[in-house]
Amino acid sequence: MKNTLLSINEATRTVNSGSNKVTLLDTINFNVEEGEFISLMGPSGSGKSTLLNCIGMLDNFTDGGYTFLGEPVHSMKEKNRSKLYKEYIGFVFQAYHLIDELTVYENIETPLLYKNIKSSERKAMVADMLDRFNIVGKKDLFPIQLSGGQQQLVGIARALIGQPKLILADEPTGNLNSKQSEEIMELFAQLNKEGVIIIQATHSESNAAYGSRIINLLDGKIV
Amino acid sequence: MIKNYFKIAWRSLKTNRLFSVINIFGLSIGLATTLLLFLFILHERSFDTMYGHKDKIFRVLLHTTEEGIETWGQVPSALGPELTEHIPNAVKSGRILQNGYGGNAFIKVRDKVLTERLLFWVDPSILEMFDVKMLSGIGAEALNKPNNILLSESTAKRYFGSENPLGKTLSVDNRNTFEVKGVFEDFPDNSSLNFNAVVPFMMRQEAKHPSWGNASFETFVMLNSDKPNLGAIENKLQSIIDANMDKEQQWYTFSLQPLKEIHLNSSAYSDSYLENYGDIRQIKNLTALAIIILIIACINYMNLITARSQKKAKDVGVNKTLGASSKQLILRFYVETGLITAIAMLLGGFFSILILPSFNKIVNRTLEVSSLFSLEILSFLVLTWLVTTLISGSYPALYLSRFSPKEALKPSSNKGIMTSFIRKGLVVVQFSASVVLIVAVLVVRQQLEYIQNKNLGFNPENVIAISTTAIPDFATNEALVNAFERRPNVSLVAMAQGFPTASVSLNSIYKPNSDVGMSVNTNLAQHNIVDILQLKLLAGQRLPELKQNGDSLVEVLINKTALDFLGYTPEEAIGKKVDAQLGNNSYICGVVDDFNFTSLHKPIGAYVFHNTARKGNYNYLLVRFKNGVLMETVSEFENTFKDIAPNSAFEYSFIDKNLEFFYQKEKQMANVSLLFSVLAVIVACLGLFALAAFMAEQRQKEIGVRKVFGASVPKIVQLLSLDFMKLILISFVISFPLAFYIMNNWLQDFAYHINIRWSVFAIASTLSLIITFFTVGYQAIKAAVANPIKSLRTE
Repeated sequence: MKNTLLSINEATRTVNSGSNKVTLLDTINFNVEEGEFISLMGPSGSGKSTLLNCIGMLDNFTDGGYTFLGEPVHSMKEKNRSKLYKEYIGFVFQAYHLIDELTVYENIETPLLYKNIKSSERKAMVADMLDRFNIVGKKDLFPIQLSGGQQQLVGIARALIGQPKLILADEPTGNLNSKQSEEIMELFAQLNKEGVIIIQATHSESNAAYGSRIINLLDGKIV
Repeated sequence: MIKNYFKIAWRSLKTNRLFSVINIFGLSIGLATTLLLFLFILHERSFDTMYGHKDKIFRVLLHTTEEGIETWGQVPSALGPELTEHIPNAVKSGRILQNGYGGNAFIKVRDKVLTERLLFWVDPSILEMFDVKMLSGIGAEALNKPNNILLSESTAKRYFGSENPLGKTLSVDNRNTFEVKGVFEDFPDNSSLNFNAVVPFMMRQEAKHPSWGNASFETFVMLNSDKPNLGAIENKLQSIIDANMDKEQQWYTFSLQPLKEIHLNSSAYSDSYLENYGDIRQIKNLTALAIIILIIACINYMNLITARSQKKAKDVGVNKTLGASSKQLILRFYVETGLITAIAMLLGGFFSILILPSFNKIVNRTLEVSSLFSLEILSFLVLTWLVTTLISGSYPALYLSRFSPKEALKPSSNKGIMTSFIRKGLVVVQFSASVVLIVAVLVVRQQLEYIQNKNLGFNPENVIAISTTAIPDFATNEALVNAFERRPNVSLVAMAQGFPTASVSLNSIYKPNSDVGMSVNTNLAQHNIVDILQLKLLAGQRLPELKQNGDSLVEVLINKTALDFLGYTPEEAIGKKVDAQLGNNSYICGVVDDFNFTSLHKPIGAYVFHNTARKGNYNYLLVRFKNGVLMETVSEFENTFKDIAPNSAFEYSFIDKNLEFFYQKEKQMANVSLLFSVLAVIVACLGLFALAAFMAEQRQKEIGVRKVFGASVPKIVQLLSLDFMKLILISFVISFPLAFYIMNNWLQDFAYHINIRWSVFAIASTLSLIITFFTVGYQAIKAAVANPIKSLRTE
């Protein structure tokens, strides 16, 4: 019996563009269970990123229900919501979004700082992570000194350091070549095996194939 | 966590070197000027605060309405002793009189003749009130007996070298001999009162026979409380006047001025022996200037931050998804700003030490580097650091940190429009301030030029005034005149009581058969005065060449203002009897055209030359000389003088040089405003330069696209520059009326002033347009000639 991580019921997201009301997500329904690796697919503008943002609580559904670990996100205050995502969700971006002024080590460390974790503990956790990703030798380099694939590796390490239940990845390989893409996908598959739930948005059939389930979006609807 | 913020801030400084340098350099210039001005203001405010009784000491002011409203720092000699007698709160009172009513004293020590500027006739209580500290000998009690003198430490050294001065004798003006009874500590720099030598006031005729007429005595009173009922005391002062003068005779009222207000709030008062008055308006102007420069520097900082807001916004977004709260981000931005301002602060302190010597020269003070490390300055620094950090950091900290992560990470959203609006607004403010400063500099310069070239109604050049106060006997005076007349280099000689730029007597002149009066300057002078000053005779004659001793007839040569007051035409006036308090037998012998006998701050008043038979009131020998080498002329004159009066010091001045003293404050202001305006414009340019670089960088892609579609380099340069030009034009619209208003106000201080011409604004605008073009143009050209392939390749 698998536990449900989150469930989305009849959720809609609209925005006002001038006088027009534009529907970005239209009555979305789906659940995410423990151990899943979901790929969101669909053409540009189909609503993949919006859905990821809403799931990540960086954005809100305008209508409908969203339950995360049994808690009703849709009726939560901003503060509690951010507490929730800090605790359980890690983000990986297409453009990596590493902090330019920080070294690899420090970039990975940052989420721990915001969680007020003690220095000695932080050191151990970051060292573990560097080890696991085989980037110990690069820990003192700045993002600009790394290749795109390496930067994304750091991005994933940073997302994982807070030991999230869920990783949201918005086109994580969009800026990478095929070899680098493959490595990142292998890594995701590996993480998923270790119990991390992953939702990725992607254009690529081959990337989507790594997932346990594919959700296709078109014009804001699941098809 | 904080450590992490510092790390980010420091690394971000290092990676963006150009902008960091510009930022820090601009801020540090702003801070250095603020620091210097604050130091100056602090010094000005510290005047007279070292006296133990500072809150209880007051100066008596005299208000007269004879001609306009005037306030004097001096009162009649009879008032001093009456104060303690009739005012119950008055504990002590004392009078001071500078030798020669504000002139130099000639000191003879053995066979040495010295000029002493600061010799005062003083009541003993003055020394007690101002806690004058005696280093040797006796103090105040020495002033109860005649022929005692007290010297300041440095003066004693000047007179007697390393010898013990006590018991030594010296003579003053060849009239009185004094014995040195004590040596007191030099008065501090920031004291309004400053004596080098003090002699007993009780020796003066005015002490033996006090009068309610001659108001030449600076009078201080010490009360028994520091919060007196001034109204009640002023009523008492009025009743003292009432008890001694008939109502019709009263031409003045008295009030009390607290000691601590004397230095800064007396520049509008005439008649005082206190030197180095400050000016509260100058302090206010400088404060405003300091704040403007600091704001420009802060704006620079904010501008550069807004220019980088794309990146900052991304940072906000990333950090928020990683779990940062808004509070943490606000703190982070403030840490970053605080670090930059702290570095700028240190550098600014360093700059201010470098500039201090030249600053001292400009403001005519002797501020010391060591005073930069006082508690006040340090707390001021901390305060400025806080304020600068809070202001400069407000944009990123309060605006950017609020973004939700989704908004912040979106590549383009309306935050760009908002920030570019703020940025443009800031540039406009900054440039408006710069333009106002440029206009101010131009107007001040033009006014000074106008003053220097204005036709004064007389010719101040080539006239030397030699002091003869130390030569009491008329025969020697006459011999001097004769000796000088024989010199080949001399064209004319006359003795006179005073001359334009030097004070004469102040009397009242009355309309015929009426008691309507007006104050008039009366100058006892000889025949040649008209030709020495090259005055224009409108009607009648010069003063007669010869005058019999004891002749009671007084000839009066009046100026146009006096004539207009009397209501005559020039021809009518000749031979008319006139009452200018010069005796009953005074007749107008001639009329001269108006001339500016005092500074151009004041309109021309009534002025008369006369030849009352009283001898010995001549204070000066005026000599008009032919052109020649100045140094040689002076030493030639000194020899002539020494031949006749070997015992007197040769003390002289040139009228044209004296005139320059009138406008010292304006010159000072011109220099200060020039210095700080240049700094402000430099800071503003630095900001603009960096901003242009950022804008060009941001529009790289647009420029690339335009070039690919055929835009030429000049077109691109125009495109980039035009944006800034527009802002500069807007700042003109704001700054012109503002500058006009401010400078027009300033000009009102002069009775004779220029009108602000449009050309000033034309120059200011051309100048700022040129500056803009060069700062922006460089970046624009750099961006325009770049290969479009490069700029389009990214993304």
